[in-house]
Amino acid sequence: MAIERNYYTIDPEGKLQCLKCRVPLVKGKAKFMYLDNGFPVELPVCPVCGFVYVPEELALGKVLSVEKALEDK
Amino acid sequence: MSQIQERGSTHVYKVNRISKEEMDGMVARCVYEEPAFCNAACPLKLDTRAMLKAAAAGDFKKALQIYEKAAPFPLILSAGCEAPCENKCRLCERGDGIAIRAVEAAVSRYGQASRLGGVFRTKKKKTVAVLGSGLFPLFLAGELEKKAYPTTVYCEQEDLERFLRSAAGFLDGEAFQLELKRLKGKDLAFVFDCEIDEAFLSARRDDSDVLCASEEVARRLFPETAFDPALMICEAERLVTGFGEGVMNAAFGAKKAALTVDRLAQNLDPRNMRGSEGAIESRLYTDLTEADELRRIAPAGEAYTAEEAAREAKRCIQCHCEECMKSCAYLKHYKKYPGLLSKEIYNNTQIIMGDHQLNKPMNACTLCGQCTVVCPNGFDMAHVCAVARRNMVSTDKMPLAPHEFALMDMLFSNGEAFMSRLQPGYEKCRYVFFPGCQASAIAPETVKAAYLDLCERLEGGVALMLGCCGAICDWAGRYEMQESTREFLLTELSKLGDPVIIAGCPSCRKELAESVGGEIVGIWDVLEEIGLPEGAHGLDRPAALHDSCGARGDAHTQQAIRSLAAKLGVTLVETEYSGDRSPCCGYGGLTAYANPEVASEITARALERSDAPYISYCMACRDRFARQGRESRHILELVYGTDAGAPPDISEKRYNRLSLKKELLWELWQEETADMKLDYELNYTEEARRLMDGRMILTDDVIAVLNDYRETGEAILDSDSGLMIARKRLGNATFWVKFTESGEDAYTVHGAYSHRMNVVRREG
Ligand code: SF4
Ligand code: SF4
Ligand code: SF4
Ligand SMILES: [Zn+2]
Repeated sequence: MAIERNYYTIDPEGKLQCLKCRVPLVKGKAKFMYLDNGFPVELPVCPVCGFVYVPEELALGKVLSVEKALEDK
Repeated sequence: MSQIQERGSTHVYKVNRISKEEMDGMVARCVYEEPAFCNAACPLKLDTRAMLKAAAAGDFKKALQIYEKAAPFPLILSAGCEAPCENKCRLCERGDGIAIRAVEAAVSRYGQASRLGGVFRTKKKKTVAVLGSGLFPLFLAGELEKKAYPTTVYCEQEDLERFLRSAAGFLDGEAFQLELKRLKGKDLAFVFDCEIDEAFLSARRDDSDVLCASEEVARRLFPETAFDPALMICEAERLVTGFGEGVMNAAFGAKKAALTVDRLAQNLDPRNMRGSEGAIESRLYTDLTEADELRRIAPAGEAYTAEEAAREAKRCIQCHCEECMKSCAYLKHYKKYPGLLSKEIYNNTQIIMGDHQLNKPMNACTLCGQCTVVCPNGFDMAHVCAVARRNMVSTDKMPLAPHEFALMDMLFSNGEAFMSRLQPGYEKCRYVFFPGCQASAIAPETVKAAYLDLCERLEGGVALMLGCCGAICDWAGRYEMQESTREFLLTELSKLGDPVIIAGCPSCRKELAESVGGEIVGIWDVLEEIGLPEGAHGLDRPAALHDSCGARGDAHTQQAIRSLAAKLGVTLVETEYSGDRSPCCGYGGLTAYANPEVASEITARALERSDAPYISYCMACRDRFARQGRESRHILELVYGTDAGAPPDISEKRYNRLSLKKELLWELWQEETADMKLDYELNYTEEARRLMDGRMILTDDVIAVLNDYRETGEAILDSDSGLMIARKRLGNATFWVKFTESGEDAYTVHGAYSHRMNVVRREG
């Protein structure tokens, strides 16, 4: 199975805030890495400190299935 | 915190731990694919079992289709076949075998003939001539038509009816007409009124590619020529022909001859590539215990009516070997018999690049060994899966994810939660009690009571060792960890003066016997000898005894447990699959971690055997059954009058091990251990605890995330839910905790999740 190298695009829509920097998270560039593979993605990030947020639905959905596919490579 | 190295994506081909030959030898043990006994006895290789199944269901059309594959003229064959299958029917061992030929006759009569085949098929290029008449030329023509050879029959008779009569004059009027119609429908050319002499034959040799003849023609024209009955050929004359008596001989001869024609037409040696021909012996195993219709259905008239034939066909028990699949929920889940499944699992280990689709099944077997006992041929699926796992580990292709939690738990048991002490007041001990990691995790009170009892009633001192025997890494196929666990335990045992090990768990006993060796007994053996302590009492209701897979093949232990149960006054109910045939509780082989879904099917299967409370002698079994809602007791709980109560979650299991260690160190050895107290207040919603247990997230993981948050202040706020969310990378996973803060130093955890992928900021 080919691993889809798609970009997860999640727009925080101003509902998420970095507690440390007191600013709203914005759509930003991030990268998932696993077993020597890297995937560029777009996730909510803090524009000041760079905190990258992985929402639960994403972690238990798409991320998990990509992990599984890579594990069985 | 200890960590296990995650593998990379480039594989190093180190050791191949199982050879193709060894695997083939194992695969061959499974007789699932062997033909049914009736089928094996049929020289024409009729799939009798399938035909009978269709007939039993009243589907005579399908039954006839199956029969026609072996018999191009089914009414002729069923009227005259000697039916060697009938004597071989398994039911003969208990009563009457199936009246196969009579059912075939009914199928031939009542089954609707299949649509005229051949008309629209593309035909082969090479042509065949068949000279003469009789059963053999008729059947041969039928076989060649099936193979799509343009075939011409040259006979002395003046028409088709007379040609058929010369072959099958024994048929009754109606059957004869039906076969005549069938013959007319076949895509065959006929030349009648031929005078077959040498000149005629050589003319046919010129105008066709392969030449065949009846026995009469062959003997008349070439009386001296040698004939090869295996190939049905006079090689010197390149003439395919048939010799022999009877309908079955003619039919079988025609089959062999058609294959020879096929080879000759392709200019290939007719000796090669013939596959299996004729009757064979089947190695199939069939359980006859459920065969109950042992008497043949007698036809009211001369032959079976359709309804009578269906009833007779229904008596067929459809011989199959499924012993292992009947008993093992894992095999049932994957719906594959071991011969096939193990071949696929072996192939899985050989893939260097690409998907390892069999990883999941390979890691779902509990390695319990039940199949080996119930299989008539001792098929050892556990060995196949265990070797495959080690193979995957050795080639660095084994994913860590399915087993990491269990392996980390083992490192915890032999790290932070490990303890090893001589009995207070002793310089050297004769014994060491090794309750096993699951016992301390699930029933710490029981472990404590047992240890105190052993100290009091055994002479020579009893040391205590709380740790893991290494079964976890053994099951995971991590042989290097297994080796280091062995060395660790050997060192610890030698520090105690290598005492006799008293194992609290049959799986530990087995694992330790294989790894550290030395003298090992079970606590059940000791209790047999010293008797029950005061206050021991059984259950007041009958209970089912679940034999641990760790005690498979260990009649001594199974017996000792039964005797303990009797002394406790427990009434045991008989269950199917007990003793050596016992199924796994679902914990073995790390199935519960790698594949929780299959594990619960296995647990459910184990619980199907009885509605009574279950008594087990392995703490993991006790735990699995209790989790599935069954009243479940470890025999030591009865011996010591303790009750481990509701099954603990994964964090409680760790907590239990640590506090048992702490409590015993303090009470018996007056050693104080550092307090694990937090300097803030931490609460969990019930939902959070439930989620964490299912997702294998420990309170320790949550604490690490919150500690980090308190230090760095890094977290986000989700205004939709009002929850704060912090994260920390721990080992090979990132843990996220959803929480609320009440005041400075109090938190409530509402949820937690994790992922293994690492996420980082990307520039540009
Ligand atoms: S019991 Fe299972 S493994 Fe054994 S021969 Fe039958 S199908 Fe094969
Ligand atoms: S019981 Fe049925 S399948 Fe088994 S040998 Fe007899 S006819 Fe064949
Ligand atoms: S789970 Fe047990 S019975 Fe089933 S295949 Fe594995 S070792 Fe055999
Ligand atoms: Zn920030």
